[in-house]
Amino acid sequence: MPQTLFEKVWNSHKVTEIDGRTLIYIDRHLVHEVTSPQAFDGLRLNKRKVRRPDLTFATMDHNVPTNNRSLPIVDQISAIQIKTLETNCKEFGIELFDLHSPYQGIVHVIGPELGITLPGTTIVCGDSHTSTHGAFGAFALGIGTSDVEHVLATQCLVMDKPKTFEIRVDGKRKHRHAVTAKDIILSIIKRIGTAGGTGTVIEYRGEAISDLSMDERMTVCNMSIEAGARAGLIAPDAKTFDYLKGRKYTPKNYDELVESWKANLVTDNGAKFDKVFTINANDIVPQVSWGTNPAMTSDVTDMVPHPSEYAKGNKSEEDAAKKALEYMDLKPGTQITDIKIDRVFIGSCTNARLQDLIEAADVIHGRKASPNVRVMVVPGSQQVKKQAEEMGLDKIFQDANFEWRESGCSMCLGMNPDILLRGERCASTSNRNFEGRQGTGGRTHLVSPVMAAAAAIAGHFVDVREWF
Amino acid sequence: MMAGKVIKYERDNIDTDVILPGTYLKLHDYDEIAKHAMEGIDPNFHARVKKGDFIVAGKNFGCGSSREHAPIALSHCGITAVLALSFARIFYRNAVDGAFLLPIEIDETAYRKISENDQLEINTQKNEIKNLTKNETYSMKPFSDIISKIIAAGGLFKYKPD
Repeated sequence: MPQTLFEKVWNSHKVTEIDGRTLIYIDRHLVHEVTSPQAFDGLRLNKRKVRRPDLTFATMDHNVPTNNRSLPIVDQISAIQIKTLETNCKEFGIELFDLHSPYQGIVHVIGPELGITLPGTTIVCGDSHTSTHGAFGAFALGIGTSDVEHVLATQCLVMDKPKTFEIRVDGKRKHRHAVTAKDIILSIIKRIGTAGGTGTVIEYRGEAISDLSMDERMTVCNMSIEAGARAGLIAPDAKTFDYLKGRKYTPKNYDELVESWKANLVTDNGAKFDKVFTINANDIVPQVSWGTNPAMTSDVTDMVPHPSEYAKGNKSEEDAAKKALEYMDLKPGTQITDIKIDRVFIGSCTNARLQDLIEAADVIHGRKASPNVRVMVVPGSQQVKKQAEEMGLDKIFQDANFEWRESGCSMCLGMNPDILLRGERCASTSNRNFEGRQGTGGRTHLVSPVMAAAAAIAGHFVDVREWF
Repeated sequence: MMAGKVIKYERDNIDTDVILPGTYLKLHDYDEIAKHAMEGIDPNFHARVKKGDFIVAGKNFGCGSSREHAPIALSHCGITAVLALSFARIFYRNAVDGAFLLPIEIDETAYRKISENDQLEINTQKNEIKNLTKNETYSMKPFSDIISKIIAAGGLFKYKPD
């Protein structure tokens, strides 16, 4: 019987069935400082070891400051959490890329760039954006701390088999430099909603998906969770295999593996998905979120919608839109391009890879940030930072008065020193515009790196298509 | 049987960033974490919540981050069940695995009829919710077999397959 790519990965990792659920073997476990301490406590309490320390990799990213690394960490509670991860990794024999490692970075940026992420594998991490790794044809999902403990102890996870969801993005993007992978995924979430993918694993397919680079595919898969999906993946192809060749942890028998991946890691002709959604890339223009969840997003050419028009008769959606506009301090009917901003954040596991930074720098053209706007550029990893500096991107950013910082999650999630102040409005390349996400009372607009860089210069949102 | 009073949020998509804002993920002690539960939309929550209370909310409760701190925060300030139209997957799983609270799916009728401060009695054996304040009874969506077994065992680590 023809199978989807996801079903093949699922079936090849089945250990056994338990009470109607499936025990799935986990190939790679990524660990960070925030969701792991209680899991390690649990292991110690029950005198358990880590079952496969060789398949477990750790780094600190969530609460690390992104200023000068030679300075001590001022926030003592963060310092303790970072120290705890070091102690736990040492005790349990887990490889750690610490704050001074050339490989430190956001866990979802370093997995692929170190060749830890591989096609056809199962990958978990105590972080919902683990779906990023699906860009390589892996089944990658976020888990909570109890499950982190379970995987550390057993290298397995009990799961119900998810349903399959095909999202086709046909056609080609117009204005390739201005309409990005971020605009594709925001357009999809806007249409299917924040729970549109609940209970499913999405496979992104179609011409506009094949056309994307690996960095861009990661942006798309990263935000699968914002549509409520368990995971999102893309079938590996020549771009995937080229990307992973010769990386630090790429297996020695890589060429053999590639041959087997080519033969197996595809959705068979005639395979049926439980759900299908299609969108045409031709129709996609730059996106800007105006509300407090990622589905509350509009084309840059539109106005902030009236709650009733947005809700199309759904009372609870209308109430949600009203509350969102109140929180965001926006009036219906305001042109998106008239919204002024105070801050810009270019970074996060969604958009802090080399291509994101190259594209953002490309927008600058010798101009400077608007004097009223503070701009932070935060590379996703130390390796991304190094490569960007070799290309002189740091200089381009700094000449434009954009801050060039050390790698980490930074202003994506309001748990390290990089936060919005109450009432500040930010053009952000991150993934969530929830209330208070970037700091209590902060207002987030989700955009692509090129839209963020252009907004930084103009002081308000602009249709970046007009700049190319 | 569980009994308690309702704290109701008439909204969908209550995300884990409002259930427990990111800045508190640094805390290790569960009771400290609990002091900041729901702070993102309801700064008075911790002051008014009582042991045994229930939260009633709309669709996609707990969407967003995988932080288990979200059900931990609610459970450690006394919430024993969240009654919602639907749940985000990771929140649901964390709530059950760690035996923090029961994620109970209710229908539109129950959601509309239950009000703030109503006194409820929940019987998960009969899949029944009694509203003692209004003298009404609603049904809840039954837990699947395996979820019932994990709940009965007191969490994933205590659960042993047959």
